[in-house]
Amino acid sequence: MTAHHLSRKELASWVADLRGRGLRVVGPVEEPSRGGAAAYREVSSADELALGGGLPARSLKEQFLPPTEVLFGFRRSRDGVELIDTPPRALATVLLGVRPCDAAAPELLDRVMGWDYRDEPWFARREATTVVALACPGVDESCFCTAVGLGPDDSRGADLVLTPVKGGYHVDVVTPKGEALVAASSARFAAPKHAEAAAEFHRAAREKVERNVPRVGEGMAAWLAGNFEHEVFSRLALRCHGCGACAAVCPTCHCFDIVDEPEGLFGGVRRRNWDTCQTAVFTLHGSGHNPRPEQNSRFRQRVMHKFSIFPRRFGETLCTGCGRCARACPGGVDLPEIVRDLEELVG
Amino acid sequence: MSKSTQPSTPSSAPGDVAFEPRLTAFVCNWCTYTGADLAGTSRLQMAANVRIIRLPCTGRIDPLFVVKAFERGADGVIVSGCHPADCHYTAGNYHARRRFAVLQELLTFLGVEPERLTFSWVSASEGAKWADVVNGATERVRAVGPFAAYRALVADALPADELQPAARGGAPRATTATEERA
Amino acid sequence: MKDLQDLAQRLLVDGTVAVVIGYERGPRGARPAFVQRPEDVERLIFDAECVQNLATYLSPRRRHLLKLGRKAVVAKPCDVRAIAGLVREKQVKRDEVVVIGVRCPGVGEDRCVTCTAREPRLADHLVGAAVAAPAAGESQRDAKLRELEAMTPAERWNFWQAELSRCVRCHACREICPMCQCDRCVASKTQPQWIESSPHARGNLSWQLTRVLHQAGRCVDCGECERACPEGIPLGLLLRKVAEVVDRRFDFRPSDDPELPTPIGAYRLDDPQEFIL
Repeated sequence: MTAHHLSRKELASWVADLRGRGLRVVGPVEEPSRGGAAAYREVSSADELALGGGLPARSLKEQFLPPTEVLFGFRRSRDGVELIDTPPRALATVLLGVRPCDAAAPELLDRVMGWDYRDEPWFARREATTVVALACPGVDESCFCTAVGLGPDDSRGADLVLTPVKGGYHVDVVTPKGEALVAASSARFAAPKHAEAAAEFHRAAREKVERNVPRVGEGMAAWLAGNFEHEVFSRLALRCHGCGACAAVCPTCHCFDIVDEPEGLFGGVRRRNWDTCQTAVFTLHGSGHNPRPEQNSRFRQRVMHKFSIFPRRFGETLCTGCGRCARACPGGVDLPEIVRDLEELVG
Repeated sequence: MSKSTQPSTPSSAPGDVAFEPRLTAFVCNWCTYTGADLAGTSRLQMAANVRIIRLPCTGRIDPLFVVKAFERGADGVIVSGCHPADCHYTAGNYHARRRFAVLQELLTFLGVEPERLTFSWVSASEGAKWADVVNGATERVRAVGPFAAYRALVADALPADELQPAARGGAPRATTATEERA
Repeated sequence: MKDLQDLAQRLLVDGTVAVVIGYERGPRGARPAFVQRPEDVERLIFDAECVQNLATYLSPRRRHLLKLGRKAVVAKPCDVRAIAGLVREKQVKRDEVVVIGVRCPGVGEDRCVTCTAREPRLADHLVGAAVAAPAAGESQRDAKLRELEAMTPAERWNFWQAELSRCVRCHACREICPMCQCDRCVASKTQPQWIESSPHARGNLSWQLTRVLHQAGRCVDCGECERACPEGIPLGLLLRKVAEVVDRRFDFRPSDDPELPTPIGAYRLDDPQEFIL
């Protein structure tokens, strides 16, 4: 893997280069409307970036799967209905300074989005996007990326990884796409100067996060599948409000609803909107039957999907250990705690 | 970015002669609707900008009706019913009065110009009053202009002329799937 | 919190209740606790971290909790208003719940600044050290309300559109609210669909406006909706505005008296109608 050094000053120039070439640059900023809390937003210059700030409230999910998206339009015609194609708006984008837990998530979701049907809007945006991760020092006690096989130093899903060092960033090139991005602005990137410091940053961060939750074992997925009726789910679901805040902030939750929305008298659009298995009506059938009528079963579903169903189908956990669900939950549901407790049951 | 669903007008600035406000009126059957009928049979002249939706009683009016009217293109809304003590169902308008009070203050707080909302009590014999209400509401809405802000709420909306059938002045059918859209 | 723990133990041991819903220390601070065994009462705490409104767990929509049996719930003065609301609207029978009122010095929220109640009145038991009644102050929320009221309509519109466009329609505000009890929320209705389910600003405006209007005179100002919102949208501003309207026009404030009728649904012959031609 080739490496470079990018000074802070050259980072600013690099962002200007990217913008000059017509690329969108999206990265963490401090949002005044959130009292300065971090969010991923499009920026027009490096000044707006708050690299090394807090963990942004929302994940990168919306860069590839917007909360609402038009799939096509339709209008009445003499003979029936005409469909109006709306090719996906996939603007060339660089995600700059994103957390490793966020960088890894879209790659996990690629498995679902390309499984039995190729989701064109998703992949159009994926192909148009280059991911530049920023190695993370570890956020707090709710981080558990190492428990799910990732880490604050991980390069999964990233094309480049920046690690904070003296005067700027150590740059690791991960993929050919990342290589191409560097090559297009090669003047900004110098020879690597602080590789050992970068490695030490990674090591310290990993050690910090590993203290939170032990590695989820191989047996978890099978144990969950074999213990569907275990009382642990009823116990854990007691405080869950079924509010869906966890799914909204989660990098890997991807369920969506499809609706037809009239616009004017003669036509409308078909949209895809974010949805969550935590709501009561998520599995409500037209007949009135609901296979998940209570929060116990809905809560169990979330745990099952992430730690059993997806792993059994695709071989990895549908969770990047970012801990947002634990921070967002108004009822005190704590997924890191739950993973620790389940691991004890798995034995 | 305003994608108007009105029939095309040359321009749509507030007070512009070319802008004809579109108002929706939710009226009760027993008083205001009958009063509006009387205004008609009396050949009273009044603005033609109001589309009337008849309901049994103002008590039936859900605030969502007003929201839906704005969503679907109304520039202004009128809500009208029987005077207090005259409700055909005894107390429907009393319930409505409380709801409307909260609704109009909340809409104003959300930034909807108060001129877009008109509430009135118009009895079955008040044809002239109905004409006044219609004319007054139309002029107030004309002065504040089209409710372009509401129509601009959907950032990724398709242009309105694409969603109109070609036979009604909509865009010709798009030919290729790869055609770029703004 | 010895008096709370002892009380909880008594209630469980003598079978008065099957579960005590209170607060415990979780990995990220105080959180709801469900104590069903007497030996677990030591988990129960109460301190300034206990912001959650536990009354929401009494709502009949929580079917998985209904089957637990008779409940005791630890309630701050603001939470008790929610219990009163549930009783008032016949969602909970007063004698089916044991209210453990807790004296509250405030939990560090902006709404605590304007709270004058320190001891819940609707309670079967009272625990906690006595707290002096505070002087009321102006909260940041009230200051923001005045600021918004002074803006032009266009400025207010822009403010609310910026806030509401962040809403992703997770409906956490609805799910956590003790007074949002409808088994079938109007926002889930699809035949016909009155409230667009899409999380664009138009659908979001329709949803938030509807929820706030349905809460008029019913919201108890517990602040949970705003706390639950993963986007930090200032829902409390909207609800507080409507509460002020209801107070000014109909002389009604959130109350812990279940006998007091809700203002929307009631009427007076001389209600103000200055806005009606």
